[in-house]
Amino acid sequence: MSATLVRDVIERSKGNPLIALRDLPFRCADIWNAGVVRLGREVLLLLTVETLEGHYHIYRAFGTDGETFTVDAEPFMTPDEEAPGREYEGWGIRDPRITPMEGGYYITYVADGEHGLRPGLARTDDFRSVQRIAYVSQVDVKNAALFPRKIDGRYALLSRYDATGHVWLSFSDDLVFWNDARVVMTPRGGFWDPSMIGAASPPIEIEEGWLLVYYGEKSTSAGPLVRLGAAVLDRDDPSRVLARSNIPILSPRERYERIGDVPNVVFSCGVLVEGDQLHVYYGASDSCICLGTAPLAEVLRICFEGERGFEPCH
Amino acid sequence: MPLNMGRDLLHRYRGNPILTLNDMPFRCNTVFNGTPVKAEGEYLMLLRVEGQQGYSFFALARSRDGRRFAVDPSPCMLPAATGPWLQWEEHGIEDPRLTVLEGRAYVLYTAVGPYGHRIALADTEDYRHYRRLGMISGPGNKDGVLFPEKVNGLYARLDRPIGKGVGSVWVSYSPDLIHWGRSAFVFGPRARYWDSYRVGASAPPILTEHGWLEIYHGVKMTSAGPIYRIGAVMLDRDDPARVLGRCLPPLLSPREEYERVGDVGNVVFACGAIVEDDGEVKVYYGAADTAICVATAPLDDVIASCYRAEPAVDAAALAAATA
Repeated sequence: MSATLVRDVIERSKGNPLIALRDLPFRCADIWNAGVVRLGREVLLLLTVETLEGHYHIYRAFGTDGETFTVDAEPFMTPDEEAPGREYEGWGIRDPRITPMEGGYYITYVADGEHGLRPGLARTDDFRSVQRIAYVSQVDVKNAALFPRKIDGRYALLSRYDATGHVWLSFSDDLVFWNDARVVMTPRGGFWDPSMIGAASPPIEIEEGWLLVYYGEKSTSAGPLVRLGAAVLDRDDPSRVLARSNIPILSPRERYERIGDVPNVVFSCGVLVEGDQLHVYYGASDSCICLGTAPLAEVLRICFEGERGFEPCH
Repeated sequence: MPLNMGRDLLHRYRGNPILTLNDMPFRCNTVFNGTPVKAEGEYLMLLRVEGQQGYSFFALARSRDGRRFAVDPSPCMLPAATGPWLQWEEHGIEDPRLTVLEGRAYVLYTAVGPYGHRIALADTEDYRHYRRLGMISGPGNKDGVLFPEKVNGLYARLDRPIGKGVGSVWVSYSPDLIHWGRSAFVFGPRARYWDSYRVGASAPPILTEHGWLEIYHGVKMTSAGPIYRIGAVMLDRDDPARVLGRCLPPLLSPREEYERVGDVGNVVFACGAIVEDDGEVKVYYGAADTAICVATAPLDDVIASCYRAEPAVDAAALAAATA
């Protein structure tokens, strides 16, 4: 049998990295992570770009084949210069995650300011103008991912509190005032995700429940190793984890994942399920945008049945 | 006669500490950080009691004069032992703060569990029985105090989330006391000051003609551990994220033996204050996590402390003195 079995569940695009510094029509420090959405025949990415000054802005990139993209020359979102935003995102906005809902598109992003990181929520109808709605938590919170529909009549949000390193779930009637925060998933000692975890893509509704692609960190003496895994949450009570991959679905291995400003990182802010395939757009070593694809059924098999990672291939 | 000019703005009651282990009707490790209310002429104080098992719970004490308290024979609120609250309170409930709001008594407290510290809300009709209403913050948050009235049509609270490892005071708002948002930074630690390491709300905000008076705690870190002191800050009435004035020296610092010596030495930590009709403020504080004390000052003096400018150093006099 082919040796590809020892490779990751997710297969990398041959075009990787899809977007690197050389593809940008302007000078900048680096490209971080991207959210993704399909708009008819086009795929839109919202890219995090680190400016040469060290701030973060969000740019649009359009493509039709899902692999080749054209990046705008001007940013789509820059840090809010008005109060109160300037106090909370004056250092940058990054890691946009796109949730289509109620005829529009909600964007959760990390606001970086003098007091720390906190998630912001904005809405756009056309990806030309954008309206900020609220900051959806206090500080030292990130990886906010909004569910694409109300659950039991309320908006639902995943986020990661640094205080615990866990993924939490909270609810709101109006997207502004939140409560019922509860723990969904915790890091697992002895596994590939023992230090910290967080939602990667916003949850995707599938037959089995909510598919959550998440990232897990393992601390090493050379810094963290950041990998991607998957879990399935209960459709009606997403704080119930029905299944969770015992192995990562993607680990840093290629040169563009190993070498960069923050090496050994594969980190996603958005996935697309199209047909029976899962397309994962991911940032590699905080330096470029890549694509990986896997059959959804294989990802779910890993979630529900697990993989005996030490079994010989034959 | 001693000069006493170096003493604190708050005057300690001579009978301090007013509650210690010796006053407890049941076996426990320590009693500290009590939150007072004055109801129908009676002073009530919800006490944090640390049991000998090591986790904390609450008991109620009653007084006619605000100084001599008698503790009820049994605790009034224990950490949840079953149900959905168990996972949040498994390691205890701590540092209650009582606020009377729209005629109803609410307590914010810190729930401690395997997922860390969260702020919880309960209400009570008789100060003996408490009904849990909800966990109202994420993890890593404590020192929640509820404003005694709505601010701009919304309920409001102060709390202390940790951002970048720094503990600062934030304000949050709610339409229903359950869902919270619009959080904003209020004030943080000050470099070079007595509150350089961490700050947090202590007493529920007191409405004055100048704005919201917040009696807070500030921490300075030393090689021997933290020093907890009590300070005051004035917040804008309509926008409490705006700081109008902040005390330069603390109002109270650990100095007495009962503040220096205990399970956690060098700590004075208030969980509430009562403003008397004659303008006197009684600040109730835990001392060294081992006893409860009271100290007083005219409200006007506490307010003035928020606005007092730092005494200017006369350069010529300093040069002459050090020549």
